[in-house]
Amino acid sequence: MHKPYIQRQRADWWLRNPAYRRYMLREATALPLFLYTLLLMSGLFQFTRGEAAFLQWLEMLRSPWLLALHGLALAAALFHAVTWIALVPKILVIDTDRLRVSPAAVKLAHQVGAVVCNAGLLLLAVLLLRAAAGN
Amino acid sequence: MDVRQADIVIVGGGGAGLRAAIAAAEANPQLDILLLSKVYPMRSHTVAAEGGCAGVIQPHDSLDAHFDDTVSGGDWLCDQDVVDYFVRHATEENLRLEHWGCPWSRKPDGSINVRAFGGMKIERTWFAADKSGFHILHTLFQTSLKYPSIRRCDEYFCTDLLLEGGACAGIQAIDMRTGSHTLIAASAVILATGGAARVYRYNTNGGIVTGDGMALAYRQGVPLRDMEFVQYHPTGLPGSGILITEAARGEGGVLTNRDGYRYLQDYGLGPETPLGEPKNKHMELGPRDRLSQAFWHEAQAGRALATSRGEAVNLDLRHLGEARINERLPFIRDLARTYVNVDAVHEPIPVRPTAHYTMGGIQTDRYTATALSGLFAAGECASVGLHGANRLGSNSLAELSVFGRVAGEQAAARASQGPSVDPQRLLARAQDNAAVWEALRESTGNERLATIRDEMARAMEDGAGIFRLPGQMRQTCTKVAELKDRYSDLGLVDRSRAFNTEWLNAIELGYLLDVAEAMAHAALARQESRGSHQRPEDFPQRDDAQFLKHSLVYRAADAPRLDWQDVVITRSQPAERHYGAAGQQENKS
Amino acid sequence: MTETVTVRVQRYRPEEDTAPWEQSFEVPYSEDLSILDALNQIKDQQDPTLSHRWSCRMAICGSCGVMVNNEPKLSCKTFLRDYREQAAVTVRALDNFPIERDLVSDISGFIDHLETVQPWLIRSEEQPVSAGAYPQTPEQMQRYAAFSQCINCGLCYAACPQFGRDPAFLGPGALALAQRYNLDSRDEGAAQRMQWLNAGEGVWSCTFVGYCSEVCPKDVDPAAAINRGKVASDINYAVNLLNILRGKDDA
Repeated sequence: MHKPYIQRQRADWWLRNPAYRRYMLREATALPLFLYTLLLMSGLFQFTRGEAAFLQWLEMLRSPWLLALHGLALAAALFHAVTWIALVPKILVIDTDRLRVSPAAVKLAHQVGAVVCNAGLLLLAVLLLRAAAGN
Repeated sequence: MDVRQADIVIVGGGGAGLRAAIAAAEANPQLDILLLSKVYPMRSHTVAAEGGCAGVIQPHDSLDAHFDDTVSGGDWLCDQDVVDYFVRHATEENLRLEHWGCPWSRKPDGSINVRAFGGMKIERTWFAADKSGFHILHTLFQTSLKYPSIRRCDEYFCTDLLLEGGACAGIQAIDMRTGSHTLIAASAVILATGGAARVYRYNTNGGIVTGDGMALAYRQGVPLRDMEFVQYHPTGLPGSGILITEAARGEGGVLTNRDGYRYLQDYGLGPETPLGEPKNKHMELGPRDRLSQAFWHEAQAGRALATSRGEAVNLDLRHLGEARINERLPFIRDLARTYVNVDAVHEPIPVRPTAHYTMGGIQTDRYTATALSGLFAAGECASVGLHGANRLGSNSLAELSVFGRVAGEQAAARASQGPSVDPQRLLARAQDNAAVWEALRESTGNERLATIRDEMARAMEDGAGIFRLPGQMRQTCTKVAELKDRYSDLGLVDRSRAFNTEWLNAIELGYLLDVAEAMAHAALARQESRGSHQRPEDFPQRDDAQFLKHSLVYRAADAPRLDWQDVVITRSQPAERHYGAAGQQENKS
Repeated sequence: MTETVTVRVQRYRPEEDTAPWEQSFEVPYSEDLSILDALNQIKDQQDPTLSHRWSCRMAICGSCGVMVNNEPKLSCKTFLRDYREQAAVTVRALDNFPIERDLVSDISGFIDHLETVQPWLIRSEEQPVSAGAYPQTPEQMQRYAAFSQCINCGLCYAACPQFGRDPAFLGPGALALAQRYNLDSRDEGAAQRMQWLNAGEGVWSCTFVGYCSEVCPKDVDPAAAINRGKVASDINYAVNLLNILRGKDDA
């Protein structure tokens, strides 16, 4: 007789272990970013509807709830970026007979890349704003 | 009864069994090869071998030197034709493992690295850090997967050999998942079931090392040879007996007693070598039998350390430094940390001798054939005649490949000549056998399994240990006979079939008792001291006139029957074994 | 009076039970006692019907994986002393595998996965053994060394929710083994193994939970192996795409 007991994965598996909870927290960073994306999309939509609609949308952004969402989305994005970059050296291993880059250098390159990209975007935004103000 | 047929059945999925399976599959891809084991192959105890695997590779080394070290290390009880064959093929087998992916440690230029080992004149031990057996086993297992003709029966427990017309014609086994009996007819059967050091209380062996193949053959009238020779490894962890590889000494580790004194210089292994400069065949690199015996004397003289886990001496690696320990002995560092809470980088590791290896086993000729036609044996379960009275470290892993391959090829040659017997002709006997095992499963006697097992292990430690005293030896023979008797009154609790480990342990205990009986009686019959068999009180000297012979133990009704077989001597006449300064002098002369 | 520890052991006897249940034992405490020692003591002295796998006692054979207080562990390398603060130690069969009986898991699915990924050295041209060893420097060996340390204990599978959701997922152990050969300088089989990495059950089923690497008793880091496999799979995809664009769709 062969009658193995099949263990089914419980619906709450992700609550049962700190490692899984950490993982789900990381995955959950997608939620505020998703909401933030919706918000941006709605802004774009209002923009197409004319100046009044867009100004009204801008006014809406002052709501404390939406300010909180911005804060949350920023925190989530930072958390995700920092933890992701911490893992990168394990995944992106450059170690061949011809070329070897140390894991620390890979990590540093990603950190620098992230800072440069964000600084660049920020600069672009400032320049655009200035240009807009100049008009 | 599940009935099957194969061309070759291999019992045991460790190094020898896997190598045999691959050899047979390569010899004749048409053959149906069944590899059967009571565990998944990678659980086999080959996995726990640490130090390395012998094979001449350095330009200044020679096959003759490997031959001489092996024969003198074995105290001239080795069959020299077998040793010759072995040393000629060891290197090629190591290279083949390399070609299959075995990660042997390398020199900076990418060539094979070798390390020093006890009793070896020149460094010839190939190693994969300190997990050589692990890497060999996994390489062999993974390589075996590419041969479609090798099928496996994982977790099948072999209970009987089946004979027909005076030849081995198959085996029967219990499917551990269901507890049902399976008959497998085959033209050739290879036993590769490993050793039996679980007959001892303190041993380096895994729980599965219970002498199954030895007992299976013994029960069919096949003699067990040289069973009195059991190797105590000088460095096991006190309490558990977990193995601390000889490579720890090969890399330069030293042994000290409670006074911090390197006591081996008092036992014919000196002069003391400088720290960090291990010298082949000196001090800590003496052979295992001598080192274990030296510990015993130190303990008798009260110079061992008393630890909470029993008496021990110190294995000191500190002078090697953290980097070298991490490179060469990472597993040892991990084991010491986990099991005795010692960091080898900062503290010495407490060690003591523990039962490790059975030099003897199922008698085979140099082609791995046993006295029973159709039955072959290879690896630790066999006595092919390689190790004599004391095995040199790193010869056993090489033995697995060299003689595993021979067994596979021999079995393939036999199986290629014709099909196996019709399994139906074996059925009646298999059903009778099954009835016996079923009765055991339902047994309601008064004896407890664990009690008999523990009493046996203690008796063997007392009367068949490092030093064997006449009174204790006789007591052990009597005790084993008594335990065999009590075994027939065993009472088991578990009546189920699925993965009934109590039942399987009970069958294993039967195997262990048979092996213990053979060991104890062979020890008593050998009235001399040779290699690992030491009788300091009644027969302290080697006696070539009477005992330059292999012992053979046959199963008989009351006590086993002893017989003797000549040792094959081709070119090395027995001489005294010298190590340390005396050995060096001998080399010069 | 000797101190004892409560060990709660999961039992499942297929011939009698329809579901697992828990049995409590009191085991005399000692500093050196591993969970495996405790189980063996229970089997020897209290209940011989308890079934569990074990052999080497030194964390190299990979037999004795169980869940200890909900974490996958080798019972021989886990000690009661580490649970003294807790009221009891709970020992269960590994998560995500069918239970044969008590603490014995059915790991055949995992073994099948190992066999799938062609875990042997593949060469376009075999050199004869007489030609000597394939050269490999210590640096080249280092590139796959960690992935060759796997003892097939299955703890990473018990730790992997993706394997729990879909047992067809090749899983951490098998994919790490594929990478062990892919990264071996002597091997030329990476292209053949790519089919397994790329398969639906291959590397892309992994969502990088990472717990497999945390529980690995041999520091194999299968999560890194799998995610490096994703990089290799990406590169393979890009190369194929390029070849198609350049009209060389035989790649």
